[in-house]
Amino acid sequence: MSRKQRDVLSVEWVKLELIRTAYATRGGLFARMDPRMVLAWYLLLAIVPWFTHNLVTVIGLFVITAASAALARVGPLVLGLFIIGFVGDFFWAFAAAWLFGGDAGTALALVELNLKLATVSLASIAAFVSLDPESLSTGLLAWRAPELLAFGVSYGYRMMPILFEEFGVVFTGLRLRSAPGPRGFLGWRALLRWGTWAVQAFYPIFLNTAKSVRTTVESLETRGFTANQGRELRISQLRIGVLDVAVVAVTVVAVVGAFELGAVVTLG
Amino acid sequence: MSQTTVPDERAGRLRGAAAGLPRNLTGSQKLMVFVLSMALSGVANLVLEIVPDVTIGPVDVSVSYFVFVPLTLVALLNPFWAALGAPIGEVIFVDLLMGDFSGLAEVEGVIQMFLALYIAGSLIRNPRNRIQIAIAAVTVVVIDKALSAIVDLSKVWIGVEDAEYVEGLPESILLLEGIGFGVDILISGVLFGVIPAIWLIPALHGRIEPLLGMRPRVPGEPIQGSAPRTGLFVAVALALAVASFLFAFLEVWEVEFGVFEPEWLDTYGPGFIWVGIGAAAIAFLVGVALVQLSRRSRDREDADTTRD
Repeated sequence: MSRKQRDVLSVEWVKLELIRTAYATRGGLFARMDPRMVLAWYLLLAIVPWFTHNLVTVIGLFVITAASAALARVGPLVLGLFIIGFVGDFFWAFAAAWLFGGDAGTALALVELNLKLATVSLASIAAFVSLDPESLSTGLLAWRAPELLAFGVSYGYRMMPILFEEFGVVFTGLRLRSAPGPRGFLGWRALLRWGTWAVQAFYPIFLNTAKSVRTTVESLETRGFTANQGRELRISQLRIGVLDVAVVAVTVVAVVGAFELGAVVTLG
Repeated sequence: MSQTTVPDERAGRLRGAAAGLPRNLTGSQKLMVFVLSMALSGVANLVLEIVPDVTIGPVDVSVSYFVFVPLTLVALLNPFWAALGAPIGEVIFVDLLMGDFSGLAEVEGVIQMFLALYIAGSLIRNPRNRIQIAIAAVTVVVIDKALSAIVDLSKVWIGVEDAEYVEGLPESILLLEGIGFGVDILISGVLFGVIPAIWLIPALHGRIEPLLGMRPRVPGEPIQGSAPRTGLFVAVALALAVASFLFAFLEVWEVEFGVFEPEWLDTYGPGFIWVGIGAAAIAFLVGVALVQLSRRSRDREDADTTRD
């Protein structure tokens, strides 16, 4: 649902945002950690909220992830989008509850659900924004994720801005070579033209991408990606240090504390 | 209709190597198909991020996805790997990259889209037959949207069953879901599915495969590198469909607990949530076993071919 707020923004903005998210690590806490431990940390905070129905516990967990996001130095743009989406979700939840004749109890339950969702997405923002794609895919490999997925992540982060740029170039080329036409009622002719260009642009994109994918896969093979030792080579750089253990331990203690707090304190 | 001299009729079952190239894909070709599908679906979804969503009242009339992009790949290349790559590409390129990752709900979407695309790709026996392409394009949207509509309807139905709810709500939800389903089929399935696909698939047939070092698909030929054992595969597909519902319902149960009947939790106990997690674990184990099985059978096939 948070996706809707971005839709008004331009191609250029999306491209910049992509490049920024993919490459600009701000050097927060998780950027210095071992990717395996970051993934474990994320899994812990992504699963735990679903095991409680206590509002106090959920608020405690939310505070933990908010603190982590602050420590991870998440960029203002991503954080801003998250908050807009979060507030929007709250608003729609209240509107729906009110429309269907719900009372304060319904609204409170929706607040709890939204807080859980926000906790999980804040954890993912904190973890995935600070990990650079290379170490993310190494971490996935280390946890025995399928090689295809690990490769897909690093390929995606590296290639997406280039592919998107290419699409933009092809699209602009089509636009330049086409005659301007009438807009039609409510601009439907213009919409039709734009839709046609968007579809037509995919023809060269398909062929170009097929070529570049073949080159990528073949060069990966010459570098031993498909060989069995590839995994060991990549994992051997990973080291679990004091910081990793400390962060995970503190998080576990904080989560247990949130549950204890939920058992002691009652709200309302 | 077709530009080549190859007749469209299926002239019996094709056996062995046609045109001197083996029919089975090598490991790196599978990787190519997967990565290509991932990258192209990612681009298509990113393009869609820019298109504004139009909402008329409660009905969303936006384009949910460019069906023709993954459909082209499942029609021309190996449907299994292409269908697997497309939803994963969406998750990795769009959701993870844009910080929009939603955990368990993503698993549900991936399974639904994979099933829809794989079935549609298997339906196309001749990539130059426009009627087959049209049917397949609509099939993708129907399977994907029907699965999620059933989930949505069940959510309401389960909620309505035990709780005092607003009069006439089920009817209105049914109506809204029905309208949404129709709009999706019209816009995503026809406007951005059938119409582009009947142009793009024949246009790319015979042109994109050589770039990946593959032989173009011959009409009537069994699917290249087809799925292991059809019966088993259908059973696993059904299991996956059920698993996708469970993932969706994990989310619903949360709402159920809080909103409609808090005593539900007392009746069944929190242990009930473990049923869902157990089902997910079983689905995961089945998947792992299937991969192992196919790997072993492929090794055997490879051994056979080298002996020949």
